[in-house]
Amino acid sequence: MVGGGGETGPIAVGARGVPKSAKNGAGRVGRGNNRELFFCVCGARPGILLGAALGKWRMHTHTGRARLLSARPVGGFPGILPSSPPYAAMATRKVRYKKLNPKTVLPVFREDQIDPSEYESLTNEAQIATGVEQAEENEYHLQAVLQSAGVAADKEIPVPPPQESSLNYDEFYSQKVSKTATYIRFSQTVEECIGCMYDMTEEDVVFLKSYNQKQPASSKLSEDDFEKIMEVYEETAFIKTPFASIDQTVASYDEMLQGLQELNSANTMNHAKEIYEYWKSRRQALGNKPLHPTLKFETHAESDDMDPYVCFRRREVRQTRKTRARDVQSADKLKRLRKELDDGRQLVLAAHNRELLKYEMLKMDRQIFELRASLKEQKVRLNIKTDDEDLINQKPQKRKAPEAPAVQRPPPPAQLRMPGRPDARPTEHDLSQLADRLAEKENELRLDIEKKVQNHGEWNRNYVDLTRGPLSPVHGPRQDPNFRPAKTQYLMTPPASASSSVSLDEPVPMELDKPENPQPVVRFRGVAQDEESRANPPSYRRRIGRLNRLWIDRRGLVSPPRETSADMSDRWKYDQSSDDEDDMPVYEVDPFETRALKFRASIPPPLWLTNRAIPNPRAVMPPNQHQQPHPIPQPPIPPPQTQAQQAVARAPTQVKPTS
Amino acid sequence: MSPPGEAAVGSEGPKILRKATPDTLSIGCIAQVIKDGQHRRAEILSIKETKSGRQFYCNFDNFNKRLDEWVPVARIDFEKDVEWPNPDKDKQKEEKKSKKTAAAISKKQQTSKKNQKRVSKREQSIASEDQTPHPWTEFVDSQQQPQQKSKKGDAAEDRAIASLEVGGTPGVGPDEMEIDEDDTPANVAKKDSLTPFSREQEIEKLRTSGSMTQNPAEISRIRNISQVEFGRYVLFPWYFSPYPEVFAQEDSIYICEFCLSYYADLKSFARHRQKCTLHHPPGNEIYRDDFVSFFEIDGRRQRTWCRNLCLLSKMFLDHKTLYYDVDPFLFYVMATRDDKGCHLIGYFSKEKESTDGYNVACILTLPQYQRKGYGRLLIQFSYELSKIEGKLGSPEKPLSDLGLLSYRQYWSEMIIDLLLKYGEREEPCTIEGIATHLAMTTQDVEHTLQALKMQVYHKGEHKIVIPEKLVSQREKSRAKQKRLIDPERIQWKPPVFTASSRTWAW
Repeated sequence: MVGGGGETGPIAVGARGVPKSAKNGAGRVGRGNNRELFFCVCGARPGILLGAALGKWRMHTHTGRARLLSARPVGGFPGILPSSPPYAAMATRKVRYKKLNPKTVLPVFREDQIDPSEYESLTNEAQIATGVEQAEENEYHLQAVLQSAGVAADKEIPVPPPQESSLNYDEFYSQKVSKTATYIRFSQTVEECIGCMYDMTEEDVVFLKSYNQKQPASSKLSEDDFEKIMEVYEETAFIKTPFASIDQTVASYDEMLQGLQELNSANTMNHAKEIYEYWKSRRQALGNKPLHPTLKFETHAESDDMDPYVCFRRREVRQTRKTRARDVQSADKLKRLRKELDDGRQLVLAAHNRELLKYEMLKMDRQIFELRASLKEQKVRLNIKTDDEDLINQKPQKRKAPEAPAVQRPPPPAQLRMPGRPDARPTEHDLSQLADRLAEKENELRLDIEKKVQNHGEWNRNYVDLTRGPLSPVHGPRQDPNFRPAKTQYLMTPPASASSSVSLDEPVPMELDKPENPQPVVRFRGVAQDEESRANPPSYRRRIGRLNRLWIDRRGLVSPPRETSADMSDRWKYDQSSDDEDDMPVYEVDPFETRALKFRASIPPPLWLTNRAIPNPRAVMPPNQHQQPHPIPQPPIPPPQTQAQQAVARAPTQVKPTS
Repeated sequence: MSPPGEAAVGSEGPKILRKATPDTLSIGCIAQVIKDGQHRRAEILSIKETKSGRQFYCNFDNFNKRLDEWVPVARIDFEKDVEWPNPDKDKQKEEKKSKKTAAAISKKQQTSKKNQKRVSKREQSIASEDQTPHPWTEFVDSQQQPQQKSKKGDAAEDRAIASLEVGGTPGVGPDEMEIDEDDTPANVAKKDSLTPFSREQEIEKLRTSGSMTQNPAEISRIRNISQVEFGRYVLFPWYFSPYPEVFAQEDSIYICEFCLSYYADLKSFARHRQKCTLHHPPGNEIYRDDFVSFFEIDGRRQRTWCRNLCLLSKMFLDHKTLYYDVDPFLFYVMATRDDKGCHLIGYFSKEKESTDGYNVACILTLPQYQRKGYGRLLIQFSYELSKIEGKLGSPEKPLSDLGLLSYRQYWSEMIIDLLLKYGEREEPCTIEGIATHLAMTTQDVEHTLQALKMQVYHKGEHKIVIPEKLVSQREKSRAKQKRLIDPERIQWKPPVFTASSRTWAW
């Protein structure tokens, strides 16, 4: 229960739809299924439930205010009792209603199928929303009928009764129409169906009668023509002097002429002036307002709003999205179409005019011809023998005609100013040759270009044109977009815990997002250590290969110099892929390498060498001081040690491997 | 500006009761007037001099405005006291105009004449809330232009006086079902400042939505056209209609039955009739049976005709507004055919696009065709259109008294017919099912069930009971009923309006 307390009060009326309502203590408590529960708390005495209503609220379309169309106490609010009689009956109800959902399945009974007493006591007697304006809901006649609903159907709301007209219907509605076989389709407007929009009044009839009496019998003005003239005046006045009733301007007769001419009737024109005077006097008598009473439309004056006579105001166009491109396009199209149609119309009008002129000319020619013919006859009759030159069209006249266009042919602009040459040079000199014209044109063009170039130079004086090379210099090879340079930064170590923050060499917190204060960033550059790799930093690409294998490709990595370890360098030295015997590979051997020396030292000397050396070792080699540059030819006698050393001395030797 | 005068009969507040003479009786007085042989309280809204003497325009207590009439002196009972409009009011107004702040107490006594809403005044039993003085009330009041003076503010204040001996004692009295908002005490003080705002809201609402109803307080309360020659009939208007102002002086005006053009001058009318070639509503026929035809007319295309129609119907519809133009509406016009053409019987208008889901904006059967079952045809047709659209529809509110009765009649008949079918088959039903079947909103179904006392709550279960009385009544009415709309004959597709066609009429 909203507000609790069990206090019952009047049906308080909240103010849904009025924005301030919530502040004023009215609020919405719950909602469901088009019924809303409102509560109002008195601002002056907070906390006291003034009332609660569960009923039907509806926004009034014309007031924008919420209206409680009915307050129907439904379960849980038994105490809400307005003083009006329908509610008094409910005071006894203690039944708590379950809310009725529109989707609830309801069994249908005839009255005789249920216990009548049950029905009597249980029907919902709440007042039902009528949808009638609150002020009129209690009107005597309506209530009388409503209360008799289902009892007697004879009660009716009295209305002023209509009567049969005393006018002769067939006189006014004389046209008969035949029934159409199919449904009528019709789109003409009222204006199109009426024709002349001016209808004579009794006053006009009186005027016209007296006016026609003054006219000769042949030129009486008919009612139709009178109306046509008046229509022109009214319409022109409406267009030319839209504020006539305010500024009291009267459209002049001259302004009417155009409209009158469109009537295309000589007879009306004769009367127009006098009718104009009559029209003017009628207008003036009415305060320069239209002769036919008109509706009051908005004038955008302050007084408009409350004036019940002002009607059919323009609705403000629904605020749609601003200038939709489509709409603008269509508008342009329509404008163009209109213009083209208008052009076409002008063309037709012009052609019409031309034909009229031609017709006139033909008529003239014919007259001239006829006159000449009669002249000739006269001459023959009177026996005058002179030249017949004036009877035919003069030749010079004819010659002039074709000449004229030749002179008027667009000459070069400079010659335009010289209509006639004082010196009687032949006209051919005036004619310019095509070649000259072309040359001249070209010349002009070149001059123009040169001038432009010059101008350009002029403008750019004192300026350095940086835009000449529009592309900024390319630095290095283009980056493959997939490869992104790896920029590594040492992130600052997080500050040490508070206790150790005293230390002075505390690391600076990360300030990456403060570019104006760049921190000394230590660049971690991976393996590359030399300066030139900076221009071309290592970059990586990640890609996903087959079977979703992830690949990291790298680029720009400078690999460290290879370690030339002894046992690695010549690992493959003696491998040979080819079986080519002719081209025996040549191996380089360092003759002074200790291993080689050792190896060679282990090899026993050949027999011939040892044999010879044994018999005469002294002869071969003088003891000690004897240095021999080429020991091999000489039979070596020294111990194998020295012999080996000698062999090495001859290095580098080409050793042929024994296969 | 609506003419001066007490907003309604039965205005509250301390009345000055005094005898009056025909000469002293003035606008705003409430006198005892004889109506249909009975004395009734009636408010004098206007006074005019005629050859036969002075006449008073009376609005009778709790009678619809259509029964307002000019009464001669003879019908006014001068034996009885006349309630005079509170003389304080004018004084107060003066003060307000000069922006003087008056004492709060005396201020409460005043009643804003022109703005007071009848709504609140009809009820005599109302009482109101406390009058906690708010220090800024005076300020707000003094800021108000007299015209903007709140209707409700004063009404509420008046009521306060009516129910309480002395304003200012907080008290909670039994409130009427006053649905006008703002009646919580806390709001009373704010009303003045809120009212202009809500008026703007109202205009805004009118402008942006297609509503065709308007607060009656805005419109002149006095009928301006006395008699209309329309076709074979003379009609006596019920309400004000904004025909040209000079028409108010005419004894009779003439309206062309087909193009609905209006004339004050018989000769003009006769001339018009010679020229007018229209002999049916200027639109496409979308329904035809032996009896009636329906025409669909676009308010934008047929602006003149639809305006004329609105002017005509305004004479018989109180809550219709002609404030804004007819462009956003379609008009469905029912006509009867003979050898002279299609004669207008009635029509309903419908928003091209209703934000509130209304399927009818205004609906009218012309008086000469009323009580012949045509209204039911109009209503049925509006629901048939909703069925074709596949929407649930409801008429725009407020309904008039006659409108309510017609709709109730239609709704109850349709629902009873449907329920009898359900009952025969012993099939249960849902409110939603009924609504969908009849293209009615569930609210309307529910309200009808309640109004007919068919919805019963027993032992925690809702039931629908069809009273015998209603069944027999329905049988009787079915026997009487001759005409129905045959949905098969409707040749209609819901018209589609693109945004640009609505905006630019392309």
